[in-house]
Amino acid sequence: MNEELTWVIQAQQGSDEAFTHLVETYQTPVYNLCYRMLGEPDLAEDAAQETFLRAFQHLHRYDQKRSFATWLLSIAAHYCIDRLRRRKFSMFSMDTEDEDGNTFELPDLDSPNPEVESIKGQTRDRIHAMLKDLDATDRAAIVMRYWYDYSEVEIAESLRLTVSAVKSRLHRARKELAGLWQEEETRAEAERRPYESPAF
Amino acid sequence: MNHQPFEEWLLNDKNLTPAEKRELDLHLRTCVHCTALSATGLALRSANVLAPAPGFAVRFQHRLAAQRIADRRRRLWGTIVLVLGGAALLAWFVAPYLYAFITSPVEWITATVGYFLFFASQIGALIEAAAVLFRILPDFIPPYMWMVFVSALAGLGLLWTISIWQFSRAPQGVTA
Repeated sequence: MNEELTWVIQAQQGSDEAFTHLVETYQTPVYNLCYRMLGEPDLAEDAAQETFLRAFQHLHRYDQKRSFATWLLSIAAHYCIDRLRRRKFSMFSMDTEDEDGNTFELPDLDSPNPEVESIKGQTRDRIHAMLKDLDATDRAAIVMRYWYDYSEVEIAESLRLTVSAVKSRLHRARKELAGLWQEEETRAEAERRPYESPAF
Repeated sequence: MNHQPFEEWLLNDKNLTPAEKRELDLHLRTCVHCTALSATGLALRSANVLAPAPGFAVRFQHRLAAQRIADRRRRLWGTIVLVLGGAALLAWFVAPYLYAFITSPVEWITATVGYFLFFASQIGALIEAAAVLFRILPDFIPPYMWMVFVSALAGLGLLWTISIWQFSRAPQGVTA
């Protein structure tokens, strides 16, 4: 029996200490999923805490034949999807904003190559900001696929979808992201050359 | 422009052979759509995993403790409201009878005894009618009808058992 299963069994028998071990093990994946879904650190912290609370309250319903991580991330994903549906009109702000409302991030000057790190950071922020335009379930599927390397079967199990639905949602989301990426590229290109004639 | 099979490769994150990779690179030079698809794929794969602020587990323990206190308080208040509500409802129903009993107990006792005797005599009459019926019924019903009746009962019993068995073996999903 592995250590994780031992903790799960002990937690099911009422051990707070065993559940704390599980929280320490899975806090980062759960928090990251919530952050990618909700977009704000405070909301992500609250959602991650709520996820663990729900897991603790429903631990007796956990089937030991399934992966604990999948079960936990499934709770987190469903919680975030519900929350996103409830606050459809709220703002999705992240990082620092300038006067025009554009987001920016200061480069880390201590990193080996500040320019490269800055570009990498900008790309990561760009993809993170684009996630907000996806449907909540599509977003969960994308996060599970690319941040946790979940297979289509595992995503289907977590989100209670069929494998073909997951596949089509992933394809749709990827195409949507590519469309947004393309739009931004075009806009950035136009901003770089504002006085040029379209003929050139 | 025809995006196939490049779009399929990019969407399915296919492991490409060197020849396929060369083919894809050539296509990406001329196709903006597939370039964006490739760029988003790369950006998604290079995305980092963020950790919560230090002390997450401690904050969770505090939240769990607060939740337990809130649950206990909610249960206590629930019990108090239920008991008081039940008592009030009972008092509201019982009050007129209690008042009548206190003001004239003889009348109330006579009425109760009267009701009791009425029910007892009704039950006695029913038992007597049933006994008569059981005594005369076997003479009117032929033996094969009894067999049909018993078989039908057995069939219904079997159907009921199978239904219960079918319902009880349905898979139990594990969801939060």
